Amino acid sequence: MAVDGDAARDVVIDPLRLDKPGADVSPSRVLIAIPAHNEAPTIRGVVERILRAVSGSDVLVVDDGSDDGTAAALDGLPVMVASHYCNLGYGRSVQTALRFAALHEYHALVTLDADGQHHPEQIPDLLEAFDRTNSDLLIGSRYVQSDPGNTTPWPRRTGMWLFSNLVKLTTGTTVKDTSSGFRVVGRRVFHLLTRRSFVDFHAEIIVYLLCLGYRVTEFPINVSTRLHGRSMYGPLNYLKYPAKMLLVVPINVIEARLIRRRARS
Amino acid sequence: MNLRSIVLLDLIGLLLVLWTFHLVRVRRLYAGYGVIFSATTAITMVMISVPGVQAVVTTAVGATYPASALTLLALGFIILTLLYAFTQLTILSDRLADVVQLLAIRDAERAATIGTEPDRSAAASSRPNSHQRDALNT
Repeated sequence: MAVDGDAARDVVIDPLRLDKPGADVSPSRVLIAIPAHNEAPTIRGVVERILRAVSGSDVLVVDDGSDDGTAAALDGLPVMVASHYCNLGYGRSVQTALRFAALHEYHALVTLDADGQHHPEQIPDLLEAFDRTNSDLLIGSRYVQSDPGNTTPWPRRTGMWLFSNLVKLTTGTTVKDTSSGFRVVGRRVFHLLTRRSFVDFHAEIIVYLLCLGYRVTEFPINVSTRLHGRSMYGPLNYLKYPAKMLLVVPINVIEARLIRRRARS
Repeated sequence: MNLRSIVLLDLIGLLLVLWTFHLVRVRRLYAGYGVIFSATTAITMVMISVPGVQAVVTTAVGATYPASALTLLALGFIILTLLYAFTQLTILSDRLADVVQLLAIRDAERAATIGTEPDRSAAASSRPNSHQRDALNT
């Protein structure tokens, strides 16, 4: 038997939302989320650093079907854990955090990696910049300023150069680091990013939000060498991922334009 | 192949690519599958349209008999069936992901409300371990 598509997934933009005031970034209204898959050796240290750096904010770890005891490594810490029963991938893990944030009416969601590459001590600076610039998506960027501690391998840097130019070509906006996992998402876009699935939350959503008229900004961050595990981008992904992006980015541009046209009429 | 056939096949290919784009746009087909279908169709269109390429490829793969109209029909049937199957797979997979996300959120909410840890043992036991996954993969 055929399975019908879910008509309710169609995103219908509510123009009123665009007029809503910006997010309240006081700690109690901010959710800090960490998507994690088999990160047991590092996750506790990362969460402890977050708790030291940002007091008063809720912390949510999205355990994406780990089988190394990632969730158990958090025992005794004042954090919430949303455990996926099976591995859904990075994009879906971020979306779980977004859904949680939307359900509980948080004003902003901060995401960062579980491998210890990002510095939680920079979260207050990111939130301050997010508030000051009235952004809807603030990206913690590794390439806004040169960073001698940056250890990104060259194929990935090349990919990011390509995606950055793809974003510029389609939106006219320069975004230097399209694939950073350290970012702040504002409540005005929660509904847009939870009603449909995305390949990931990188170039695709940047283009989508920019084309819909939302504000995307970058803020310089420092990153350290990964403390544990491997990148989620394997050698084959250096071919697969750009091909997918070349397909979905133009599709998102078309989709965003159709939504704007529908909203106007 | 005469010009009329080439134009007809290219037109069919173009429609298939546009349909694939539409399916990806409405989230009925994963982008990865969309890439495979549209790339294969595009390559086929080039092979059909550029004089000589088809003959080179035919020689390279060692085909010794000419393709009949029946083969084309069979290929069309296979492509449409595959596209349909992948569409269904995408929709079911998306629904499964939605359910898994909602369950995870409810577990987290329940743990936060009653101040207990979620039942991670249930999640862990329902999840295949690395040995089981290896067995499944083989």
